Amino acid sequence: MKNEAHIQLNTLTKSYREGEKSRSVLDQLELSVEEGEMIVLLGRSGSGKSTLLNMVSGIDRPDSGDVIIGGTNLAQLSEKDRTLFRRKNIGFVFQSFNLISTLTALENVLLPLKLKGDSDEEAVPKAEQFLTEVGLGDRGDSYPDRLSGGEQQRVAIARALAHEPMLILADEPTGNLDYETGEQILDILNKLVRENGRTIILATHDRDICELADRVVELQGGKLHEVELSELSAS
Amino acid sequence: MSQSSNNLLWRSSWRFLLKHPWHFALSILGVALGVAVVVSIDLSNSSAEKAFQLSTEAVTGKATHQILGAGENLDQSVYTDLRVEANIRKSAPVVEGYARVEGLNRTFQVLGVDPIAEGPFRDYASQQAGIELSEFMTGNNTGMVAASTAEEMQAKIGDTLKLSVGGIDYQIQLIGLIEATDDRSQQALESILVVDVNTAQRLFNIQGQLSRIDLILPQDSEAQQSRIKEFLPEGASIVRSDSRTETVEQMTRAFEFNLQALSMLALLVGMFLIYNTMTFSVVQRHPLIGRMRALGVTRNEILFTVLKEALFIGAMGTVLGIIAGIILAQGLVQLVTQSINDLYFVLSVQELSIGIFPIAKGIVLGLGATMIAAFWPAREASQAEVTTVLKRSSNESKLSARILPLAGIGVLTALAGAAILLIPNGGIAAGYSSLLFMIVGFALITPLLIIGMAKVFRPILGKLTGLIGKMSVRGVVTELSRTSVAIAALAVAIAATVGVGVMVDSFRTTVVSWLEAQLQADIYIQPPSSVTRQADATLQPMLVDLLKKTEGVSESSTVRSVDVRTNNGFDNLVAISQGPTAKQAYQLKVSGTDFWQRYTQENIVMVSEVYTYRNNMGLGDTLRIETDAGTQPFVIQAINFDYASDIGTITISREIYNKYFDDNAISGLALYAEEGQSVETLVDRLRERSAGMQEVFIRSNRGLREASIEIFDRTFTVTIVLRMLAILVAFMGVLSALMALQLERARELAVLRANGMTPGQLWNYVISQTGVMGIMAGLLSVPLGILMAYVLVYVINLRSFGWTLQFMITPEVLLQAVGLAVVAALLAGIYPSRKMSEANPADALRNE
Repeated sequence: MKNEAHIQLNTLTKSYREGEKSRSVLDQLELSVEEGEMIVLLGRSGSGKSTLLNMVSGIDRPDSGDVIIGGTNLAQLSEKDRTLFRRKNIGFVFQSFNLISTLTALENVLLPLKLKGDSDEEAVPKAEQFLTEVGLGDRGDSYPDRLSGGEQQRVAIARALAHEPMLILADEPTGNLDYETGEQILDILNKLVRENGRTIILATHDRDICELADRVVELQGGKLHEVELSELSAS
Repeated sequence: MSQSSNNLLWRSSWRFLLKHPWHFALSILGVALGVAVVVSIDLSNSSAEKAFQLSTEAVTGKATHQILGAGENLDQSVYTDLRVEANIRKSAPVVEGYARVEGLNRTFQVLGVDPIAEGPFRDYASQQAGIELSEFMTGNNTGMVAASTAEEMQAKIGDTLKLSVGGIDYQIQLIGLIEATDDRSQQALESILVVDVNTAQRLFNIQGQLSRIDLILPQDSEAQQSRIKEFLPEGASIVRSDSRTETVEQMTRAFEFNLQALSMLALLVGMFLIYNTMTFSVVQRHPLIGRMRALGVTRNEILFTVLKEALFIGAMGTVLGIIAGIILAQGLVQLVTQSINDLYFVLSVQELSIGIFPIAKGIVLGLGATMIAAFWPAREASQAEVTTVLKRSSNESKLSARILPLAGIGVLTALAGAAILLIPNGGIAAGYSSLLFMIVGFALITPLLIIGMAKVFRPILGKLTGLIGKMSVRGVVTELSRTSVAIAALAVAIAATVGVGVMVDSFRTTVVSWLEAQLQADIYIQPPSSVTRQADATLQPMLVDLLKKTEGVSESSTVRSVDVRTNNGFDNLVAISQGPTAKQAYQLKVSGTDFWQRYTQENIVMVSEVYTYRNNMGLGDTLRIETDAGTQPFVIQAINFDYASDIGTITISREIYNKYFDDNAISGLALYAEEGQSVETLVDRLRERSAGMQEVFIRSNRGLREASIEIFDRTFTVTIVLRMLAILVAFMGVLSALMALQLERARELAVLRANGMTPGQLWNYVISQTGVMGIMAGLLSVPLGILMAYVLVYVINLRSFGWTLQFMITPEVLLQAVGLAVVAALLAGIYPSRKMSEANPADALRNE
């Protein structure tokens, strides 16, 4: 038996029904990720990147195969257990920020901490610290609709990291931002992930982002192909 | 989940509600209106019931049994025999009746007593209470009222009260005041006039007779009762003193149940509105819920948060509803009392009694209805897959795939509702359950019907307003998950108003055509009676003779109405002296052979269909009536339609009545004018001739018909008020649902504005879309409303009262329904159109 990695995806298969037909999105997919690694998941729109992230986060379930994160096989958990696993161990950064519009910036960062069961005494300073780290220490009382896109994404990064998850999933985190803001966001994300020693899978179609990665994989035809960093810089 | 994270979810919910204040306020209003209607009806009913109980308690006192005569009264000698011969000490004579007291707009119960015998029975009327015998039993008309009543009419001891009994005026000198010991007895005594037995006999013109004799008998008094019976004349009997109360309570049971059911209908409408609000609020929050789910909030946490929100709305609505219900009840109790006075017995409710039960019921129903209505939307929110809730369109595609199965389930549910009606002896509850199934079934078919209607509307609006018109109709279909719930809820709310409207119209039409047949004579003369639909007063014989012999009168007939005891309890017996014209006047449902030839000769009776329904009797059955000649069997040989009483009437010929009852009194007189004689002139002539005698109502056929319809309308006032309230709930529903729907589309409308749509075009777009939805709801409410009316008329009414009604749909009711929907829908479009056309599109686009 091989040594189990921090994150291990074994023969992962997922297909969707479209009318009479079935469309395969993930096909016997394999992936191993070590703790603290930063993986960039490349793929065109519609290649199945979001589907793969949904499997890894336990939002969705594969048709077959294993999703083992820190020794827990999510594919074998019930919906409720997957949710409870997610709240403790996964941090999300979405393309469209997905902040809770009815909570302030600080409360958005607090939410995963509270869901984990932290007391106010523990949670509030931690949330404030992360907001400060993303440069929004003075905007804690602002509601999302009062923040710019870049600011919203920074809150989302703080929210994703605040409860010290095992794994961070970022789905096109710069997709809705201009180039410059996108660069800033990536810098913040990279810095915080590295400083906190988190594992991250960052899905994107933007090859420029790959320079941050420890490893790059590309999703094509439902399977992952390792991409050499040298290949990327050459192209 | 920890308490604090719970707080954070709740905070998010709370802010969501505050961000949508219109929606929030209107959903609270939906619950409040439903609860207000239920609470107010319950409070009115219970206040009437309590007033009745209190006055019964006051009048019955501590009596355990009563001796009643066969007819209305009992000879006074029976009391003397009991007291002297049988030595029954705990016995007291009572003469009872009703009178109007000048200066107070209510009917008083006159209680004629012997203060010497009263001691063990009624504290307030006894010698021990301080009644001055020398003043009370002077032979003059003297009496006492409660101190609070005297204060109310600004009378003091020594003053003279003016009384009217059956149209005859009397004067009574106030010789004392009854001091109530507590609130309860004050309420009980506020419409009672205590007089001496002899005075009462004079007032009611029953010299030498008593209404009853009260007794206090120990438990297991069989032997004593047998001994008393030896002294009783033929037909008289001993009954438990509460048996009459039971009969009276039974009388009003169906009436009260129906009022309660109608109030529940308003709550049901309210429930649909809550369901609509909650569904809408959940659908609106799908992306928010999706994000929370992605962050690890569990399904149960979402479910409980939404339910908690509903509970909050329910609690606020319930509190407001109870307060509004109490205010509304102040007015409704007078309407309910008026109906009870018109239909059943004299009742005066001076104040609302706010019992715990109606309030508790309001709380349970308000919170319960909200939670039930909110459960499905909450469950749907929690069950949604995170991947799908993150994408909005998925919800629409899910509903599109479900339209046909939903319609199928809808048809099956409606059929199940129809099947419930087939359960034999299902009762009123089964009728209402069936109605509920049909409503739910119809709501499930609604999405399919909307798609069908949209196909018709699209080209029409396209022609009228071009592309914008087409877009508005299309918008209704593309957002079916939101629009269908709103339209279904509105259709149900409006249908309830159609159902009740058609029922009232059907009732009215039936009564009007029945009155036309029933009123054959040209002129009717009646003494004023305390219960409008019962003839409890009598005409003076001298007056009857005088009127009959008036120039221009060709024929006459009389009626006598009395309460008698039968094997079914206390019943109303009407003796008619009508000759061959009776055949035209009475519409028979069924009859034995040659009924009209036989009815003056044999011991046969005609009973109303309500009577047969209430007592489960039919043609050929035998009724045993207590008469002055003992218990006599009468065979039911005809069943007639009669909409004057929901208690039922037994009709007998005067010839047969006279054979068994020692009673020559006449309750009403009908006169026929000679050929060519103007009825109006004759009425004037009769009024002139009767001037100075007993005050009576002399009315032409038309006048009586109008008066009867007026009473009918009055008894339906409560129903109409409830219908108005249901209309108000429906109106608020249309307004809230459609307004919220449009406000929620701010972003889409901003995109349209950004793309060059002018404010005018935006008005057009929004108003035509809400208008289309209003018309759809209005049109859908018509068949559902007619179906509801059908069940109300043919099932619930029949099971409650036993009346056969003509089904009458008037176009006004239907137009009113569609109009209500459209007007509310158009109004609902105004605010969002204005807001959107004035707003900067950039703001809306920026907001999530």
